[in-house]
Amino acid sequence: MLSTDFQFFAPTALDEALALLHEHQDGGKVLSGGMSMMPAINLGVLRPTAIVSLNHVPGLDGLEDAGDHLRIGGLVRHHVVQSDPLVRAHAPLLAQAASVIADVQVRHRGTIGGSVAHADPSADYLPVLVALDATVELASASGTRDVRAREFFVDVMMTALALDEIVVGLRVPKVPAEGGSAYVRLARVEGSFAIACAAAVAVGDRVSLGVGGAVPTPVHLDVTCDGSEASLDAAAEAAFQACEDAYGDLNGSAEYRRAMARVYARRAIQQALAARG
Amino acid sequence: MSYVGQSIPMLTNAQLVAGKGTFTDDVQLPGMTFMAVLRSPYAHARIRSIDTAAAEALPGVLAVVTGQEILENTNPIPETYDTAAVGARGVEWYSLCIDRARYVGEAVAAVVAEDRFAAYEALDLIEVDYEELPAVTDPVAAMEEGSPLVEPSWGTNVMASRDIRLGDPDAAFAEADGVVEGVVSSARITGAAIEPRGCVASWDPYKEILTFWDSTQAPHAVRMYLAKTLGMADTSIRVIQPHVGGAFGLKLPTFQEEPLCAYMAMKLGRPVKWIETRAENLLVGGHARDTSFRYQAAYRSDGELIGIRLDVIADIGVPSALCGWGMSFVTWYCLPCVYKCQNSETHLRSVVTNKCPWNAYRGYGKDAASLLMERIMDHIARETGLDRTEVRFRNFVQPDEFPYSQVSGAMLDSGNYPGALRKVMDMIGYEDFPALKEQALAEGRRIGLGIAMELTPEGCSMPGSLMLNGTDSTEVRVTPNGNVIVLTGVTSPGSGNETGIAQIVADGLGCDIARISVVQGDTESCPWGFGNYSSRSIIIGGSAAGVAAKDINDKMRKVAAGMLEIAEDDLDQVDEAFVVRGAAERRVEFADVAREVYSNPHGKNMEGIEPMLQSVRQWKQGNVYHQPEKQGRFSAYPSWPYGAAAAIVEVDPESGHVRILRYCLVEDAGTIVNPLLADANLHGGIAQGIGGAMYEQIAYDEAGQSLTATFMDYTLPTAVELPTLELGHQATPAPFTPLGTKGVGESGVGGALGALCSAIEDALPEIDMQLTALPLSPSRIWAAIQDARAREGAPA
Repeated sequence: MLSTDFQFFAPTALDEALALLHEHQDGGKVLSGGMSMMPAINLGVLRPTAIVSLNHVPGLDGLEDAGDHLRIGGLVRHHVVQSDPLVRAHAPLLAQAASVIADVQVRHRGTIGGSVAHADPSADYLPVLVALDATVELASASGTRDVRAREFFVDVMMTALALDEIVVGLRVPKVPAEGGSAYVRLARVEGSFAIACAAAVAVGDRVSLGVGGAVPTPVHLDVTCDGSEASLDAAAEAAFQACEDAYGDLNGSAEYRRAMARVYARRAIQQALAARG
Repeated sequence: MSYVGQSIPMLTNAQLVAGKGTFTDDVQLPGMTFMAVLRSPYAHARIRSIDTAAAEALPGVLAVVTGQEILENTNPIPETYDTAAVGARGVEWYSLCIDRARYVGEAVAAVVAEDRFAAYEALDLIEVDYEELPAVTDPVAAMEEGSPLVEPSWGTNVMASRDIRLGDPDAAFAEADGVVEGVVSSARITGAAIEPRGCVASWDPYKEILTFWDSTQAPHAVRMYLAKTLGMADTSIRVIQPHVGGAFGLKLPTFQEEPLCAYMAMKLGRPVKWIETRAENLLVGGHARDTSFRYQAAYRSDGELIGIRLDVIADIGVPSALCGWGMSFVTWYCLPCVYKCQNSETHLRSVVTNKCPWNAYRGYGKDAASLLMERIMDHIARETGLDRTEVRFRNFVQPDEFPYSQVSGAMLDSGNYPGALRKVMDMIGYEDFPALKEQALAEGRRIGLGIAMELTPEGCSMPGSLMLNGTDSTEVRVTPNGNVIVLTGVTSPGSGNETGIAQIVADGLGCDIARISVVQGDTESCPWGFGNYSSRSIIIGGSAAGVAAKDINDKMRKVAAGMLEIAEDDLDQVDEAFVVRGAAERRVEFADVAREVYSNPHGKNMEGIEPMLQSVRQWKQGNVYHQPEKQGRFSAYPSWPYGAAAAIVEVDPESGHVRILRYCLVEDAGTIVNPLLADANLHGGIAQGIGGAMYEQIAYDEAGQSLTATFMDYTLPTAVELPTLELGHQATPAPFTPLGTKGVGESGVGGALGALCSAIEDALPEIDMQLTALPLSPSRIWAAIQDARAREGAPA
């Protein structure tokens, strides 16, 4: 229940939005889809003094083919990521990840930029973005900068974002035509947060692996895997070792989550290898 | 034609599907104010002082109330389940904590403001000086010497206990071929109704009437309890139950907020609305089922169960005025459910802890009893090598043994347990399953089949209770225009009993159901009654309705015979007309007879007949035994529906993830008034059963803080997790109700618990995995697999 006064801004230009955010960086919050922020406000765990909505800022919801990568605006909604032909053709694992986020209503409101900025450890995009070596484009009143996804996530719901910065977009490298990819997750029910999830991009016998859900921030690993049982086991074991700071909660102990990181990493690699063109 | 037995769509469908129902939060009154409740952040704390000045100074705030004012101006909330009558300990529970808060969420203070935003904002401005006290959250620890006491004046945390020996358990264990022993526990859960609780109170100082809209199940009981709590005449209170978005027992009175809201409305002279948030509902809306069992079962080599020794521990949270803790007694009382076992020794401990109190929840303890017995049956099958169904067939109460006197004193009314099990085995393809399983294994898929019985006694009637009561009343009125109003003492939480009762009345009157309007949930217009719980609305309210309709029909037949100038014996009723037998063209219409009654009371057709067409009739259940000294037994339940469930699951042994592939239930609820609505109730019951079996759990940390404040943490199954539910019916009419109805509101819950445990174990027969704790979450199943493999020395 939102019970305290706050200021609400709905700027219609990016520089205006960034200026407002700079002015209100102490206690201000950015609103895009609001799918994580509004529940937090309603539960009383978040009490912003100002809310700057990006929803009327033009140019943040583009999705285009930029040669060797896709450029996806921060305000692109999950259902677009899920269904866009460019994403499905060039980063199918990203579309797969988008398609299993929460439910239909959430996917029509929630944004990829918002999810990345919120950095929930169980968010579906995170292992995909580190597996693909995506770049996060940030902007503030004082300029723009790029951060690799592999360096962007710092801790549970903590990122490289400064208080007055927003995620304006992502550059997502394409999966090569001869490569294959997969995204797999374990969750208790449809739409609930992943206990463990894994993304894999395979080119030849080189696999770029992202593991999420089990750990505070997504884990990235480059492994070599020829598809043999022994090589799959070795890759899965590497994922297991990399998840030593797995955390536990009601849905699974740390021990369980770490074990699931092994199981789902193996499955993602196996499926990515099988999907090679 | 007869309406009873027809699948008539629910009469409220059009209104509810259009979103045009009136739920409590839809009630809007001029000058409405809003109440918010400050809740204890501690599991146990002394309240040293409360400073309300800053909250009162906030613009829009009308009043802040604390425990001291409540103590001075109101009475304790009456118990709905008389603790003294059953030798249990009780407490004086007020609408606000007086000097001590006993669980996280207990109501400490309340604010009424012009709108809900100001009310919630003011909560943050109330300064409470708490002295934190030691809390206990584990029921076993709560029974140990030196444990913190939830109620220091008791000197113990055991609220109620039962130590009962039936037959000769020592001899049974001595002569047994084998004994199995183990533990079983079911998690703390809640009902998660789509509409949380809420109420609106409005005081008219001139009429001196308090009107109280409440998302409740029992308006008349609420009226009586409010009157007692507020110290006023119950006739000065009108309780209206608007549409209710699910109740499941958890909306049985009386919670702290109900009298609190009424008190504030009377104090301020303004209408007050209180609407619970989802987080509050999970925290304070009533919990259930948190029960653990330690069992020993003695058996013969042919699978016959000959003795049970049992320790039952129910973690009932803090003591309150709610009736939920009685579930722990019902669990014991149902044993050994559908089986025969004359020798038992039971030790039941209903233990208080610093957690949310139990309130009634669908299943009311019967679910836990079924879980235990089905786990024991599977355990005996595992030890003897007999088929799981064979052990059950060996132990069933047989169809020719009804009415069956169970060891607890319960008188099981009727049934055919082996028939139901055979039927569900046919539905699921029990005989062919091994081949299916083999084939799945060849594809790398692990599937398993489980079965379980459930026993779900209904129509609860407790001596001395003004809520759990085996009587009810219904009024039927036929208007001069030939339309029919039915006013019931029972209510509907959305389950459709108004439709079933209309069917019963239409049959009784011989009229079209379109003539019938049903009015429920208003103490001003409806006759005295106890509302809905324990599946009583059709079996008690419906029976009263049938009797009242017959009164009116008897009178209309006499008048119709007069109008047709024939003897009543020569009269037939066909399609809304009273006709001369054998000469159907000589007829008078239903509406014409109604008009004749009202318009010619002094005419020849009404000679010697009481005027008007109105009848209020009461129904008292048979097969209830409240006089043990005379009747030789005590039994609170007249009606004993049961079911047989079968499930097929696929288990991912690497992750412990389970998918339910098929789910079948054969249910015997006696005569079914409306198959469509009975099935709809079963769908909900099975879904809640599966939820409790596999997903749901209210969790606390050791300090008594809730870990399940939202649906992100309290995991509920969605439509995706539920398979198509396959239902079969078997109807053994109840001998003690006029139509043979038994009640279907709680069926489907209990069987899910055992069936899913059984199915998951069956999927991995190569390992000796025993599932002993609910919910069957992937992590728990994975851990059980690891344990079993470790025990066998196999690599994990």
